[in-house]
Amino acid sequence: MSRRVAVTGMGCVSGLGRNVAETWRRIVAGDGAIRDFALPRGDGTSAVTTRGPAAPVDHIDTTRIDARFDPRTLGKLDPLVNFAVVAATEAVEQASLFGHPVLDNRTAVLLGCGSGGNATFEVGYRRLFEHGLDKAHPQTIPTGMISAPASRIAMLFGIHGPAMVLASACASSAHAIGEAMHMIRAGRVDAAIAGGSEACLTLGSWIAWSSLGAMAADTCRPFSIDRQGLVLGEGAAVFVLEEWEYAVARGATILGELAGYGASSDAAHITAPDRAGIERAIRAAHGDAGLPFDTPALISSHGTGTRLNDATEAEALRAVYGEALAADTVIATKSAHGHLIGASGALEFLLGLVALRERQAPPVLNHLGPDPACDVPLALAPRAIDHDWLVSNSFAFGGLNAVLIGRRV
Amino acid sequence: MHPTREAIIAIIAEEARIDEEKLNPEATLASLGIASLDVVSVLFAIEDKFGVDIPQEEIASTETLGQFIDVILARVSAA
Repeated sequence: MSRRVAVTGMGCVSGLGRNVAETWRRIVAGDGAIRDFALPRGDGTSAVTTRGPAAPVDHIDTTRIDARFDPRTLGKLDPLVNFAVVAATEAVEQASLFGHPVLDNRTAVLLGCGSGGNATFEVGYRRLFEHGLDKAHPQTIPTGMISAPASRIAMLFGIHGPAMVLASACASSAHAIGEAMHMIRAGRVDAAIAGGSEACLTLGSWIAWSSLGAMAADTCRPFSIDRQGLVLGEGAAVFVLEEWEYAVARGATILGELAGYGASSDAAHITAPDRAGIERAIRAAHGDAGLPFDTPALISSHGTGTRLNDATEAEALRAVYGEALAADTVIATKSAHGHLIGASGALEFLLGLVALRERQAPPVLNHLGPDPACDVPLALAPRAIDHDWLVSNSFAFGGLNAVLIGRRV
Repeated sequence: MHPTREAIIAIIAEEARIDEEKLNPEATLASLGIASLDVVSVLFAIEDKFGVDIPQEEIASTETLGQFIDVILARVSAA
């Protein structure tokens, strides 16, 4: 048997909460974070705003990082980096890995981000395009670059091994976690800080997403009739992954197993989902984990709430699992935390693992009624579950798919 | 818009990430750990907030925090 991968630490930030405990408490109670949101347009002095549903991060708790790191060392961070650092610190603390020698050169940092530091770049653009100025802040690039979260985490925790950010739009962090798992399996490292971050609720980013025509005007209603589309959220979710025997030997608490990963590319369309590509990723993940298709599982769907995604995903699930799908439980947590783009896969895998541990499925929110095109066994109310396995789906624009498989321990 | 000395100090504290109470006007920028990049960040924040561009050369001769604040206040008030 090859090296197995244990999850020994988890941290997250989203509209739902400032840490894992708060996030779980809200989502399992059906208390979603999507609300009416507005951002000022122009120079911010007029009353003109862009409005719509979104799940912004209203509160971020920096107590942990303030206690650990000198503010001068941290520097000024884009929200993209701030979310990632806060979540990573929670995860590393839970794993009791601060100052541990494994961080020095046997740990990788692998994060997924869909876009970079939107807020930082937009401040620069405002100066140039709106105010006619000719200079941008000298820290614009280092603060806003998409790889800044990996650099900052490596700097703060003293990690000298491989560190990078990986991008595959809405599947970025699922790919990052899966590839980190393979780095551990391959023996390149013994541990990894893996997950994702996204801070896309800035005016320019939000309007660009809205202009795609894929956004809901009301709210996110995965697999429901009359669903209109997706709703943006923001935040980060980060894991500490460790080689199983290494974690056991140092007495770490194992929270779950990262047992499989399947990735595929549709090679078909830049926005539309493709059933064949989705199926390929799910089948590959099961093959990697050695998990039979008829083993009952908690399926954390990609479930964006767009007409096309949900119908295509439901079709793919029926094709892969057949009659056995009836024994599975399908959740769609974007209905509570919105679409975190690059950070979605990580947050959904995290919530799925907690659900296995707590034996509770968080409810799919905002569901108005069944859509015959989306006939999957949804948990529409908080439900007790007894599954040992988690299948967590992420399907990105541009046809980049990643599926993670987790196991309860 | 005429900012107060306190408003300028708040901007310096924010940009240089130093507690406001540690910002003694008698102290030199160097002893406070305010590096040239922090000075640039403060000037950018002043420009973004008050629309006043203060050339870096103008603060090159300032040694203490108090002198630095004086130059900023003079430029912003004259605008």
